[in-house]
Amino acid sequence: MRPLNESIRYSSATSPVPVSAGIGLRFPHHRQVLETTPPVAWLEVHSENFFGGGTVRQTLLNVRRHYPVSLHGVGLSLGSAEGLDPGHLRRLADLVDIVEPSLVSEHLSWSVVGGEYLADLLPLPMTDEALQVVCRHVQQTQETLQRQILVENPSTYLQFQHSSIPEWEFIAEVARRTGCGLLCDVNNIYVSACNHGWDADLYLRNLPARAIGEIHLAGHAVRTLDSGRTIRIDDHGSRVAPEVWSLFEQALRLFGPKPTLIEWDTDVPALGVLLDEAGLANERLRAARQADACAA
Amino acid sequence: MPALLEVQHSMRQRLLVPGPPNADLLQEEVLAIYRNTVTSTLVYALRLSYPAVLRVVGAEFFEGAAHEFIAAHAPRSACLNDYGDRWPDFLAQFAPAATLPYLPDVGRLEWAINRALHAADAAGIDITRLASLGDAALPGVSFAVHPALSLLQLAFPADSIWRAVLDQDSAAMARIDLTSGPVQLLIERDAHGVQVRRLTAWAWEFTRSLAQGKPLHAALDETAAPEGDALNALLADHLSSGRFIDFSCTGEPKS
Repeated sequence: MRPLNESIRYSSATSPVPVSAGIGLRFPHHRQVLETTPPVAWLEVHSENFFGGGTVRQTLLNVRRHYPVSLHGVGLSLGSAEGLDPGHLRRLADLVDIVEPSLVSEHLSWSVVGGEYLADLLPLPMTDEALQVVCRHVQQTQETLQRQILVENPSTYLQFQHSSIPEWEFIAEVARRTGCGLLCDVNNIYVSACNHGWDADLYLRNLPARAIGEIHLAGHAVRTLDSGRTIRIDDHGSRVAPEVWSLFEQALRLFGPKPTLIEWDTDVPALGVLLDEAGLANERLRAARQADACAA
Repeated sequence: MPALLEVQHSMRQRLLVPGPPNADLLQEEVLAIYRNTVTSTLVYALRLSYPAVLRVVGAEFFEGAAHEFIAAHAPRSACLNDYGDRWPDFLAQFAPAATLPYLPDVGRLEWAINRALHAADAAGIDITRLASLGDAALPGVSFAVHPALSLLQLAFPADSIWRAVLDQDSAAMARIDLTSGPVQLLIERDAHGVQVRRLTAWAWEFTRSLAQGKPLHAALDETAAPEGDALNALLADHLSSGRFIDFSCTGEPKS
């Protein structure tokens, strides 16, 4: 394999996503979106849900005729020590070929060990070894897909004692070494910062603005554990929290306006609620564009 | 410092194997958040693939059984539409479900339906290309079947049970004779969605021989398929329904 410092710079997309708010498209809304083509700039789906054929994939192809589409993977497991599943990567490549998405993204996390898939985005120890593993897999993915991918910062509930690199430095280094873009999940930064006592603003300031290809926004839950500890859980089951909107505004000040996605996966509400949240993101994107224009 | 692979194996143990005895509370309550997501995601995947089994046993029983299943059979693919092929066999040996002997067959049917829903797309063979081989070559032709197609022979009338359960049609359910003998089913996807068809015993065996890649002459020899109109009609139906996606004519006809 080619040494990392010679990695190719891939272009990100044939048809870029508009710098505007999109929504995550989930099964309960497939039909309504196709029948009513609501005014939303772009849509994102979970790649794995469309690995098969039949009416499910046809629905996505029909959606693709009306909207730019982003493929957001939850199963490639970039952080698996044992290597990527070649079958999974091939199915992703087939889907990318047929959908021609504007963005392709995966997570800074792992889910697969011993060939078994643990259906969650699990935390990585932030070590040199994990950094090398993730970079190798990002590079392998970009070579296979022949395009740039975005890597998303995770929400985490635990940290490893032997972690030696702050997460913001780790993910910035992945972008630097592989040429991948970053999907900055502002809700995840807020959740992890609260859970671990990090400085969310410092996290944002350490990300390379030029590498940010997309921003995610979602709701989270607050739980009190038996020990009395309060923890924030990234359940994508409610509206974006006020503190996360503030952090989003800060992200836009630092990065400039970026394509922004509203995610909602638990107790998916009426489509109108998602469109409403997208409208709130658009107001902030407009303000950021005006601020940019004034500064110019 | 533990190697990454070591960390991942030990986390897998903690997430999938119930009741880690030596965990301290602070670690355990955080791991429980991850364990919860893993388990609930997999239970949800099983519920989506097995709606009739779910309705027969009820949510509580389903979830309890699913937890045992997940601990023994974690997914081998990160595509959750592929998860749960072993669930019917698990139910067959799951003692608390023994009072519902037809349950595993309903599960087998639902798995075939799930496969039919999510299998890759594939075009049926070009019939004119097949015809151009000429009649003499036909007995030596073997076929590849569409990935969405399944052939099931089940001891219980699982298709009738499945329909009655999902329609919540208790009158239909009451009419089902569980001792009526085995059913032979063909499950596939067509333009309207997934279809579950009953075949006669000979048509099912003949089709299964073809699906196993045996040439026509061998499929005929093996099964009690009647020559003539019924057989021609069956083959024509297979071809026009796009059930064969490729063919080859390497199988030598017996002289």
